Amino acid sequence: MKTKNRDMLIPRRTALFGAVAASLAAPFIARAADPIKIGLLLAKTGQIAGQTEYLANGTYLALEQRNSMIMGQAAELIWLDEPSPQAATQNMQKLVQENKVCAILGGSLSSNALAEEATAAQLKIPFVCNNAAATDITGKNCNRYTFRLNTPVAVQQRMLAPYALSYGKRWYHITASFAFGQDILRSSRELLKAAGGTEVGSDEVPLNTADFSSFILKIRQANPDVVVGGLSAGDLSTFLKQWNELGMKGKIPFVEIAIGDTDIWAVGAEAATGVFTKMWDHTNPNNPPEEKAFAAAYLAKYGKPAADKAWMGWITARSLFESIDAVKSTDGMAIVEGLEAWKVPAGTSSYSYRKFDHQMLVRNLAVGVKPKITGKWDYFDVKATLPENAADLDKVFGTPEEIGCKMG
Amino acid sequence: MTAEDVADPGEVDDEGRDDNHDDQDRGKDRAKMLEILLSQVVSGLVLGGLYVLIAIGLSIIFGLLGIVNFAHGTFFTLGAYLALTLYQYFGWPAVILSPILVGGIGMVAERLLIRRLYNKEPLISLIVTFALALLIEATVRLIYGGIGQPFSPPPFLAGFLIWGPILITKYRFTVLLTTAALLLLLWLFLEKTPFGRILRAGSRDPEMVGLLGINLPRVLTWVFGLGCAISGIAGVLAAPLWTITPAMATNAIMPAFVVVAIGGLGSFAGAVIAGLMVGVVTALTIQFYPSASGAVMYVFMALMLLLRPRGLLGERWERFE
Repeated sequence: MKTKNRDMLIPRRTALFGAVAASLAAPFIARAADPIKIGLLLAKTGQIAGQTEYLANGTYLALEQRNSMIMGQAAELIWLDEPSPQAATQNMQKLVQENKVCAILGGSLSSNALAEEATAAQLKIPFVCNNAAATDITGKNCNRYTFRLNTPVAVQQRMLAPYALSYGKRWYHITASFAFGQDILRSSRELLKAAGGTEVGSDEVPLNTADFSSFILKIRQANPDVVVGGLSAGDLSTFLKQWNELGMKGKIPFVEIAIGDTDIWAVGAEAATGVFTKMWDHTNPNNPPEEKAFAAAYLAKYGKPAADKAWMGWITARSLFESIDAVKSTDGMAIVEGLEAWKVPAGTSSYSYRKFDHQMLVRNLAVGVKPKITGKWDYFDVKATLPENAADLDKVFGTPEEIGCKMG
Repeated sequence: MTAEDVADPGEVDDEGRDDNHDDQDRGKDRAKMLEILLSQVVSGLVLGGLYVLIAIGLSIIFGLLGIVNFAHGTFFTLGAYLALTLYQYFGWPAVILSPILVGGIGMVAERLLIRRLYNKEPLISLIVTFALALLIEATVRLIYGGIGQPFSPPPFLAGFLIWGPILITKYRFTVLLTTAALLLLLWLFLEKTPFGRILRAGSRDPEMVGLLGINLPRVLTWVFGLGCAISGIAGVLAAPLWTITPAMATNAIMPAFVVVAIGGLGSFAGAVIAGLMVGVVTALTIQFYPSASGAVMYVFMALMLLLRPRGLLGERWERFE
């Protein structure tokens, strides 16, 4: 009996060796089992949440389409909120220091993104900004760790200006009183001055304004040729809704850059109006096949068409995942080099980040609200793809001297 | 008559005409300014009316239950969303059904949660009602998604009303009238009915009301429901004007607190006066200094609290002091 028991026991020396070997191997085993973590820093509440829902959906879909694998390893997204610039940077630190993410996607508002990119440089973590459009993000505030998708405000304003000027040279500005709106106001005033036009009025509107009637009364009194807007997300929807309610739709044209599908869907067919720039449209027949496939996959998964923001989440996530795959490393600087080298074909053009400012070169769309909206999700006619010639992209986005980005 | 004589009167005439033109232009400018100011005041009254409706429910709940209800704004949101949903099934009667449902939800919340906060530390009620607000907002987001929902005024209220220099849309005028009518009915209810007397007595001395054989807990449930229903009405009225999003309470709850603080906690008349004042001051600030329009109500509140810490018509409440 005693002998039998002894046979069943593992010899003490073997057990000791086994324990030592297991303890030495443990970190490697754990590392192999640990998924690659990517941070997602997008607002979960507030007026911008309508857009971020789609940005997040597009990001998750991009990972799902890779079977949630990066570099042949399991990968996961960790989504934290960005309720304010300060809280956003705190959450960014949390993602890096506690959650151990190797890169971060996000930046739904310009004010947040400007703070986040500074923190990214400090933490030496690659940050791919998927929504904010403030010029300075890849301009004078640029840094080696920050990459950005959305076309800078100044470039979009240049694309929109011919449409605004086609209505006349007496402009009224109504812009948000934060980074995005202030950037629009500055750029638009320069363009108007260069065109020899007159600003007949200008209002800077606090964020989350619920009632625009008093602003609209001022615009009505000033009677401009065109209103150039610089309102974001929910505020733009509320403005357009009240613009129609106060009988201004069809009387004075409205133009603005960087509208999101979700902004116009919230306005409703009856009140929607205006000419805008945007990055992508799910109804655009010129979308390349892989983007058509993305739109179909999105529709199948979420039961709703892919808004432009969904595409923005998807393409930025793709750029990051494919860059990590290419460099086969989760080291911050290696990922940065991967993103700098990333380039994929897109129809007759291609997508890539410029080396000197990390700005993605993407052609924009000039869109106008359809005279008669028949589909719940189909509000826009695509007027033009800008610039018309893909070869002009680099020139349109500005030279290093014009951009003022010094990465050091 | 010399050539100079002929020329001189001409010059005098020209100068005279210029002076007249200047006077006429100044007169026109003044008339235009008066026109826009009057229109801004009316616009401010509509906004103020909505603030009053949100604030009055908050004030009643605080006055009678002693609860500072941070979740109050979410009942405003629920009013808008339920109107949107019920409209698809019942048409315009949804605007009446929605506040009733919101009131019902409020009564359930009182029975299950708020009741446990009576006579507890004010901080506990702040935290619990804030958590309730987050829960309701997250539920709305889960059901409807984060994007805004379109909702327009009814077609029969499309168009304008123009009285002399004042311009107002039919829908906004309806909002103004509805607000005034509701406030009158509410005042009559609180001042002239036996139930209103119980409420007022209960707010001053709940123990005595209980000793008189009145089921005060049940009364408080109804009061909480009433406060929520009024907030729901504000949500319904705002739905065609504001963007319906899960976060729309943010635009409602802060002005409501400001209005209650300016008017005096628990004061019906104070909330009405303060709400209308906040609306008008905001509208006039937009005319002259638009970037300060979001902050002006807080400046107004700070001044009021410095000059009169209990607010415009605030009284000393033994229960809370």
